[in-house]
Amino acid sequence: MTGLSSVANNRAIAPWLFSGPLLLVMGVGFIWPLVQVLANSFHPNTPQGIDFTQWTIDNYARLVDPFYGEILVRTLRISFLVTAITAALAYPVALFITRLPPRAQSLVILAYISPWLVNTVVKALGWTLLLRTNGVVNTVLRQFDVITVPLKLMINEIGVIIALVPGHFMFVLLPLWAALSGLDPALSWAAGTLGARPSAVFWRVVVPLTLPAFIAGLVINFIMNMTAFAIPMFLGGTRTMVASMLAYQVNLISLDWPLGGALALALLASTLAFVWVGQRAALLMIAGHRLPP
Amino acid sequence: MILALNLLMLIVVLAPVVIVVWMSFTPTAMFVLPLTQLSLRWYREALSYPGFVDAFALSFELAALAAAITITLSFCAAYGLVRYRPRGQATLRAFFTAPLLVSAVVFGVAMLQFVNRFGLYNRFAGLVLAHVVLVVPFAIRSLEVTISAVPEELEWAAMILGRSRFQTLLRITLPLCARGLITAFLFCFLLSFSEVTTTIFMTGPGLQTLPVRIYTYMSDRIDPTVAAVSALVVLVSLAILVILNLLGGLHRPASR
Amino acid sequence: MSLEIVGLTKTFGATRAVDGVSLSVPRGEFFTLLGPSGCGKTTLLRLVAGIYPANTGAVRLNGRDITHTPMHRRNLAMVFQNYALFPHLNAFDNVAFGLRSRRLPRNEINARVKDALALVKLDALADRFPAQLSGGQQQRVALARALVVRPDLLLFDEPLSNLDARLRDEMRFEIRELQRRIGITTVLVTHDIAEAFTMSDRMAVMQAGKVVQIGRANEIYRAPANRFVANFVGPINELALSRIEMVGSRRRALAAGDLSVWLPDHINASGRDDISLVLRPEALRVATGEIGTDNCYQAEVEDVVYLGGNSECRVRVGGIRLSALLPSAAAARLRRGEQVSVGWNANDGVVIGGE
Repeated sequence: MTGLSSVANNRAIAPWLFSGPLLLVMGVGFIWPLVQVLANSFHPNTPQGIDFTQWTIDNYARLVDPFYGEILVRTLRISFLVTAITAALAYPVALFITRLPPRAQSLVILAYISPWLVNTVVKALGWTLLLRTNGVVNTVLRQFDVITVPLKLMINEIGVIIALVPGHFMFVLLPLWAALSGLDPALSWAAGTLGARPSAVFWRVVVPLTLPAFIAGLVINFIMNMTAFAIPMFLGGTRTMVASMLAYQVNLISLDWPLGGALALALLASTLAFVWVGQRAALLMIAGHRLPP
Repeated sequence: MILALNLLMLIVVLAPVVIVVWMSFTPTAMFVLPLTQLSLRWYREALSYPGFVDAFALSFELAALAAAITITLSFCAAYGLVRYRPRGQATLRAFFTAPLLVSAVVFGVAMLQFVNRFGLYNRFAGLVLAHVVLVVPFAIRSLEVTISAVPEELEWAAMILGRSRFQTLLRITLPLCARGLITAFLFCFLLSFSEVTTTIFMTGPGLQTLPVRIYTYMSDRIDPTVAAVSALVVLVSLAILVILNLLGGLHRPASR
Repeated sequence: MSLEIVGLTKTFGATRAVDGVSLSVPRGEFFTLLGPSGCGKTTLLRLVAGIYPANTGAVRLNGRDITHTPMHRRNLAMVFQNYALFPHLNAFDNVAFGLRSRRLPRNEINARVKDALALVKLDALADRFPAQLSGGQQQRVALARALVVRPDLLLFDEPLSNLDARLRDEMRFEIRELQRRIGITTVLVTHDIAEAFTMSDRMAVMQAGKVVQIGRANEIYRAPANRFVANFVGPINELALSRIEMVGSRRRALAAGDLSVWLPDHINASGRDDISLVLRPEALRVATGEIGTDNCYQAEVEDVVYLGGNSECRVRVGGIRLSALLPSAAAARLRRGEQVSVGWNANDGVVIGGE
């Protein structure tokens, strides 16, 4: 015990002792698979399996193809639209929630979180029941004579977007709500007494101060959109193929792992690059060059 | 205007889940509106279908084990981060939350190729490893908050009174974190229980978790049986959500 | 009158935070709302600022009724307890905020902000963000931000409570100085008696949402309206009174500890029950020899506590304990257990009670 205790009190070693087991598991279960897939992607695929004796960048070269390009553009388009719609809705909803009494606030937040904790396949089923040709939405609209011909709400990009917006909404709502709740009300009062109209208070005080949380939320939202799987699968169908479905097809149906690996890594890289650029641009655009230290 | 927008948003968020539960009570083989009669027929159907029952058991075991391992490892790591504030703290934290950025599909592809290399394809152990990695980001964040909430003075007091750091950790810190630990455990359980994207890449027909089972069933056909199973899944999630809310710690684990 | 408040009431659920308050502040006056936490003083200030809507009553500023005017059109300024500086704006932009809200031309904004920062001696730190400023500097920025808009009324909500003691004393005089120089009508909220006494022309003492006394510092200190005010504004000796009788033109009563005491000539206590005589410690004299006061008793010194320039001397007289504040030079001669005389002049006492 004394030996262990002296180690536990050593500030240089102790944190690594505590973090060690998790680091090990993450190393084996997270880093290794990623390295593995990276390595595989630089080897050629043969009918006998991956040829580890040869090195090639052919798998990445094969991705430069109009077919894959179209899928990437579609994935980006859908993800961007979903994130944009979410961004437009987030402040009105989050501000509304912060003005509710505390008990109502936690209930509403719970309502927004709860669908996230139900698996996406079930949600895909729900949206299918709602949006298909003889689904709930079309039935109701026809009953009230709003339409005569059923709307085509799924097996296209519209269906994917309709289902993804509420599905990933809480990734923006939650951090934004937390930031708004944490905002000192005296700041808004100060702005108000200094003559700022409510809209000016919002744009010049509330938005700049909650922007980091908002953008962090949008980043996660965008990543989730880029790599959503079950929703595009059921609501978009194979004609509306997105990157994640392609990754599934190449890896599990064609069983071409080097190509599949290259595809996954390209998806990861393009997502992170897009996020990085977007984040920079948004911060510069909205907050201006003068950011607090 | 704003009120209408909020109501609409709330309805849209909850609609898919509500509709599944609602439809599961249909007495007919088709989903017909309006639902005039309620029936438990499809629940009997679902519960007598071994594919779903086995998958439920597997998912439950997997989620419980993955959550338990995650919480244990993450608690230790979070304690190290919070109490020692080591150099490289920010890097460590970023590393533990990195799976969030990598996303389930890319990680699924990586896992597929990894487990095959080591003969873990279609094996329970591989699934546990993958699920642990996927829920660690959430566990580490919420447990850091939990541990920070325990005043360090209490630990100092115990150590001044002659307890070693390990005894202090076990007798003081751990009990005071009990609520946060339970919350984090349930949260991780739910995340693992509803994980589908990564799992699909790692399992064949022989070893299907419930969400994957529902996925394969739905790829084939959509009938009220699958709605009934889904409704049961919603019930499990709802029960855990209610407990989480009673514990009062739901918003934190998920907020970034 | 610059600021007039008439029958103002604000309830939160079942609590009446501000309960029918009326008061008026003439132009250029420094007025303080004084009271313990929870007495409603901050709520009253926020009603004036327009942060909360009032339930009933009216607020008038320079003759115009602003009860229902939104806060951004009231043309007043407020310095908050935590200063409420905008963390994303530097000192210059913080000060400029109110001027930009008023859409003034750019060169006028620049000139006025520079003047305001110079006024609080912060011209060199205009580029700093709030996080890079000390507490005292943040306070000055908040002050400049409030003054620069030339408001009709300046409001302070416990502005000095986050500063350390030395800085607080400095800022008190600085703010007071500035206020006199500009001649702006000012309302300050505080629970700190010293702050209220040193800074304000007049003050209102609040208790449970109501104003219980309005007056200058010496009036409130020397003639508290009730037991609450007497206790709140400083340490007191309180002697319960019974059997008040007239002896010639003077009143005499039996006080706790079986002391027969002469009462002050003027008594404004209304009721008959629960009447007490209140004595400030500095009103008492303690000496080994003659002290020549109206009321004089034999006492025993229990303890002498050195406080710097003054010392507190606790004496026991007739079964009760009195606390006196003496110059330390005089107190140094007293010994514990010594027999002394203790007394006071009848008119230095205040009779309170009946409420």
